[in-house]
Amino acid sequence: MLEIINCQIEAKTWRITLPDIDVQKGELLVITGPSGIGKSTLLHWLLGNIPQHVAIKGQIILSGINITNLAIEQRRVGLLMQDVYLFPHLTVQDNICFALPKNPQLSLKKPQRSSKKPQGSSKKQRRAAAMKMLEQINLVHLGTRYPQNLSGGERSRVGLIRALANQPQVMLLDEPFAALDPRTREQMGAWAFQQLTEQNIPSVMVSHDVEDIPASAKQICLADYYQASEQK
Amino acid sequence: MVYSQYHLNRRLQSFEKYLAPLLSLPHLAIALGLVFLFSDGSVFFVDSGLPRKGLSTLIIAIVIKEVPFFLLIFSAIGRQLPIKYWLLQGQALGYQDYRCWWFLVFPALLKQSRLALLAATAYTLSVVDVSSIVGPNIPELFAVSVYRWQTSFGVGDQAFAFWANALLLILLAVSVLILYGHEKLAHAGCKALATKGSRFYIGSINPVFKVWLPMLGLLTAMIVVVFALWSLDFNWHSDSFDFTQLTTRLWQYEWLFFALPLKNSLLIGLFSGLLGVAFALLALELQRQKGKYWPDYYWLLAIILPQLSMVLGWQILHIWSQGGYHSGWIVLSHLPFTFAYAYLVLKGPFQSVESRYELLAASFGYSPWQSWWQVRFRLLLPAIFTAFAITFSVSIAQYIPTLMLGAGRVTTITTEAVAIGSGSQQDLIALYVLLQSILPFMAFFVAALLARRFRGSMGGQDARDY
Repeated sequence: MLEIINCQIEAKTWRITLPDIDVQKGELLVITGPSGIGKSTLLHWLLGNIPQHVAIKGQIILSGINITNLAIEQRRVGLLMQDVYLFPHLTVQDNICFALPKNPQLSLKKPQRSSKKPQGSSKKQRRAAAMKMLEQINLVHLGTRYPQNLSGGERSRVGLIRALANQPQVMLLDEPFAALDPRTREQMGAWAFQQLTEQNIPSVMVSHDVEDIPASAKQICLADYYQASEQK
Repeated sequence: MVYSQYHLNRRLQSFEKYLAPLLSLPHLAIALGLVFLFSDGSVFFVDSGLPRKGLSTLIIAIVIKEVPFFLLIFSAIGRQLPIKYWLLQGQALGYQDYRCWWFLVFPALLKQSRLALLAATAYTLSVVDVSSIVGPNIPELFAVSVYRWQTSFGVGDQAFAFWANALLLILLAVSVLILYGHEKLAHAGCKALATKGSRFYIGSINPVFKVWLPMLGLLTAMIVVVFALWSLDFNWHSDSFDFTQLTTRLWQYEWLFFALPLKNSLLIGLFSGLLGVAFALLALELQRQKGKYWPDYYWLLAIILPQLSMVLGWQILHIWSQGGYHSGWIVLSHLPFTFAYAYLVLKGPFQSVESRYELLAASFGYSPWQSWWQVRFRLLLPAIFTAFAITFSVSIAQYIPTLMLGAGRVTTITTEAVAIGSGSQQDLIALYVLLQSILPFMAFFVAALLARRFRGSMGGQDARDY
């Protein structure tokens, strides 16, 4: 579960004071608002990437642990961005291997698989694990390809699978499907949310497109909490 | 000489793939190659009017050498500018493509290539090896005189050398002014033409530029072949082309003599090249972490200042510290140059590595160090290979630092080649210059092979299916 407590975004001329938020496992929170209001900034703050132009105060509690002051690499937060940023020097398979945690025996993702999978993490085993993940989404044929040769939709899928391979405690989505054409976007969205619900991961998505949002999602619009500063 | 650089602005096409081997041929090899090919009593043309030693030979050699260098710089700059869209926009407004290029792209390129122009000018101002061999004798070029004064024991010559070095700096300052003025003029010219919407006639000389690179490639090949034939004892005066008489006799004789310089060259090139690339990466990374990049000219000082004056300073320091004549010192003396070139080549690719890749790596739990090594370094690998090939050939071609800090004791292929080049045994000259050009060529060849194996941020276009 993800909790955001006492969060306040402060810029020179305005401030946003958010109510306390919690996102349960398998739940999706969508942050909306006009562009430039700090949606992505908030998301990057959750990731641990300290924003430069605004000050954000508040506490982030993830699975009962305060992660507010932890470095990005210690937070176990997954991220999917609009341009998926698959590593161009690695094949699809190796991209997923790169994201697998150091000791995959911790994997609780698919019980029926973790019992079969041997302990430890040799290169071969990691590769096999990556292939299995691709198998589950019927994209095995992409395994040995390089990201440059994938279509936009394929890239998004691989990107999500890669992020999930890391077994994050929370998933952040920064307008993940904005670059796709409308039809692919719809399919992709449904598929992605289904994956996230199945994996029981709390997710936070930033979006400016209301059509992207599934009915079951929580919504928060930053504009509702916007105040101009007193000086102005 | 400064003016000869002016010429080079007129380059446009980007034939990056062919640049490396062209760039790898040292100045000396091109200069002597021209002499071998075209001067009096030479191979192909009986009399082309190109003197054995003279200003014209020197200028042509340097121009030929610098064009690929500028192409490399321009293509690096071009990658960061939306040239394609500018051209498209211009063409949509009804201008022909070459005109668009001159109106829209050229001014931007010129502005950004200031430093490269300056580097080439500084090089030309203080180059000693090439000018002493193919430059004019009476009067000799200023750099050669300065060098002679520096090494002379004559009364007052040392003081002379000091003032001459000061004068070199002044000359450099003057050429900075000229370059600046030229830039302003060119800008004003382009602007005036662009606002008038006028047509101009550069189109008629466009074909010259189109054939330039293939010609250059041909010339390079010819130079190498001529050297090879000379060193293999080819009989130039027989009427038939009889290749059966070629012998490796000279190579066998000379092996004894060139083995040591060759080893020195390789080792010095290897170490100073690697260190140069490593330091350039370090400098870039430290700056990135601070979030502030120093202006380029701090980092490129070594190739912007006249080499001659700078190395004199080092030599004085070196003697003062009683450093002895070890090739380690030579590596150290090559380092500023290899560093500067590595920095020049790596800065663009380094800055264009998308920082989100590292952000993602961090979100997967990799520490900053791990993600630097596994992501940024890996993405940069192709560029790093190229940078190493360039630094290696820069180090191979260094003459003045090697000679002055090594006190003539540490011989490299280049110092030998210059020494022998000022003699008159043609076959020997050919052999050494050939060696000098083979080394960097090999470095580029290996770098190109390696770069193809490792894909990185630059490898996007030639991605293959497996």
